[in-house]
Amino acid sequence: MLLTSVILVLREVLEAALLLSILLAMSRFLALQTRWIYIALTAGVLGSVVYGQYLGTVSELFEGMGQEIVNAALQFTIYGLLLLIGVLLILNRSGEARYLQLLQWAMVLAVALAALREGAEIYIYLIAFREQAELLQGALLGALIGGGIGFSIGALFYYLLLGLPRRRRLICALVLLSLVAAGLCLQATQLLEQADWLPAQQPLWDTSGLLSENSVMGQLLYALLGYEATPTPNVIAAYLIGLVLMVTLLISVWLKTRMPGVAVDVYV
Amino acid sequence: MKLPSENPVRIFVALTALLLPMVVNAARPVLELEIRDHLFYPSVLKIPANTKVKLIVYNRDPTPEEFESYELNREKVIMGGQKAIVFIGPLAPGEYPFFGEFNPKTAQGKVVAE
Amino acid sequence: MKSIRTFLLIALLSTITLVNFIAALHGYRASMEEAQKLFDRQIMATAGLLAALPVPQTGDRVVEENDLQAFQVWSDGGQLLLRSGNAPETQIGQRSEGFSELNFSGFRWRVYSQRGAAGHWIQVAERVDLRYRLADEVILQSVLPILLGLPAAGLLIWLVIGRGLSSLRNLAEELRNKRAEDLSPLTLAAPPEELQPLVHSTNALLNRLRASFERERRFSADAAHELRTPISAIQVHAENLAKELQLRDGGEPPESLAQLQRSVARMTHLVEQMLNLFRTTPEHYPARFEPIDLHRLAREMIAELYPAFAQKNQEVELEGTAAQIQGDQFALVILLQNLLANASKYTQDGGRVVVTAIPEGEQVLLRVEDNGPGISDAERERVFERFYRVGGDRHASATSGCGLGLSIVQHIAELHRAQVRLGTSSFGSAQTPGLSVEIVFPKTINTVNDTAEDIPANETTL
Repeated sequence: MLLTSVILVLREVLEAALLLSILLAMSRFLALQTRWIYIALTAGVLGSVVYGQYLGTVSELFEGMGQEIVNAALQFTIYGLLLLIGVLLILNRSGEARYLQLLQWAMVLAVALAALREGAEIYIYLIAFREQAELLQGALLGALIGGGIGFSIGALFYYLLLGLPRRRRLICALVLLSLVAAGLCLQATQLLEQADWLPAQQPLWDTSGLLSENSVMGQLLYALLGYEATPTPNVIAAYLIGLVLMVTLLISVWLKTRMPGVAVDVYV
Repeated sequence: MKLPSENPVRIFVALTALLLPMVVNAARPVLELEIRDHLFYPSVLKIPANTKVKLIVYNRDPTPEEFESYELNREKVIMGGQKAIVFIGPLAPGEYPFFGEFNPKTAQGKVVAE
Repeated sequence: MKSIRTFLLIALLSTITLVNFIAALHGYRASMEEAQKLFDRQIMATAGLLAALPVPQTGDRVVEENDLQAFQVWSDGGQLLLRSGNAPETQIGQRSEGFSELNFSGFRWRVYSQRGAAGHWIQVAERVDLRYRLADEVILQSVLPILLGLPAAGLLIWLVIGRGLSSLRNLAEELRNKRAEDLSPLTLAAPPEELQPLVHSTNALLNRLRASFERERRFSADAAHELRTPISAIQVHAENLAKELQLRDGGEPPESLAQLQRSVARMTHLVEQMLNLFRTTPEHYPARFEPIDLHRLAREMIAELYPAFAQKNQEVELEGTAAQIQGDQFALVILLQNLLANASKYTQDGGRVVVTAIPEGEQVLLRVEDNGPGISDAERERVFERFYRVGGDRHASATSGCGLGLSIVQHIAELHRAQVRLGTSSFGSAQTPGLSVEIVFPKTINTVNDTAEDIPANETTL
């Protein structure tokens, strides 16, 4: 049971932890208060329990495709929030302190939604063991190990970002944010394919022999870059569109705000 | 600034809406899979190659299970006593293992496309 | 970075967790693989045993077995010859030698098929869930300590880091407790290698500062001292010149000579004040504290300076009662001289000066008030600076002065651990709000030696 737990929990924790550490590091760069993470994590944990509790009902929506559609919607929402966060970070890059309230709440919502989606699966998994007490120890131990690895990677990643040279940290953070965001588009597209909202296709290539999605490294790359061993053309297109869209928007905002005296009002 | 690229969600919804008509609700082969005592019945599913099939998975256990396959890129939680629909394919001929992520040692099976 | 300690704790603990957990995971995987091989050998052994038995000829004999294993023996022709009680009557494995996995009787089984010597098929199956559960139970016991050890490791790391950072904390503490004018070197006992450059450069900086302060002080003091003799000489010569002129010409001496004599008097005063200022520097003044009645001392000083008040038609009053403090006679005389001279100098003709000396609980209050022009709030901060004069050189009263009086007062107050407060007089008018200088002395000073060591620099309320 242990290995199962490790893999399951690690995958879910890693995604939320990486997003959290990127956003947390950026908050520190901008000298924002970091108390928002407590709100975000509390909301995320409570949200997971509620979502997990009602997943059965959610699944029956959209002709049995509720789970896929809601999850895809969540991923797209987080993508949108990351886009907003990226733009606001650029607007604040020289300490302008603009829209800080909005920025913080976007971060809270993004982390809370990510934690909610990932946490719900862990919650459902663990409550299954209420009736299988003899397996509970292994499952919990595995969950602890998985969670431990996930949060450790997140913490080290956070300090790695904090250690970046001052001039390059915003660029690095934005690149990472864009990659994570593109990964979200990829996952959402996969879910829409599964729900039959998008046509199914044959995968273009298969790199599972090189790097299994199941390994710790594979999971790390999945969470960070949206690594997918057997992607279909749709999924690749979604990844690229998501990436190009975000990068283009960020660059255009960056260039616009470089000119002095140009007021920029951005709606994302 | 009112770039058209500013609303990614809307664009994705629009994109999805464009693609939707392509999804023809033609009569697809329907297959059934059951989960009992953390086992898949049948554990070997034969489906026609290069055809999209509709797989209905019944979870007869009281506990939840997650139908998962890396090879098929599918992942879906099925609560205890519920059923779920998973579309599979079109697949090239070959074997595609799937498993129950919550009980991966016993809940194992494979799709054989031929 | 918020705190080095938190950073080190989280970073170290994360690294340890990551490395340990991944190692534990690999250990678990490897152990599980070994365990599965062991189970496989066990099945093969059972199959070998069944193959070695004589082939039963009567059909379908049922043998009771444990939960873990099931078996069947089939004749080449497809007849079930022997089976365990938990095995079904249908064939459980393929007719090819080796391992396979499949479901029957509500469980998943690992099945081993072997062809017997008589052409019959032996199939032994083992429950997959039980195999993993048994192995799990054993392996978990080896993984558990790694997890349980983590909180202990966290606590230890926290304590060790705290210990490692203690010298840094001590250094910060010492720097925090240092007064602005305390330029003695840091006394960190055996600083660790990493802090030595910091301690050394800080001490070198403090030394340079102290040396330059000392040089400045000595130079001014020496200069003042050296100026005394020639000035006295000029004074004497000027007086002689006045006498000689009077003898030769008779009548009044010329106006320029009178001006010269006034300038020389001012210069004498300035040099005296400078010497007083340096003499009374708290760090260098060799104070001799003895019981002194401030009230009586004030009366004596008023008497001594009375000519100055009388000359300007000023009214001087002394209020209060006997007020005993521990003080230095010489320094307090200079203090009172300065306060009284200032009051007289800056108050208009016919003005009023009130001196109060009165015990207040554990303290003694000395107050000198006048109804002169006073000092505005904005300037109160600066009047303690050396050579600062209210209104600059264009002083309203057009009175000469050198701007050292209040600096000397402050030095002497510090020496006695007293606080100086400036305010407006209680009997001033709108045009002349008057000045009130209050000095609050503690009645006793604990030790004579640590002259003003513990008074923070900014405690003097202005």
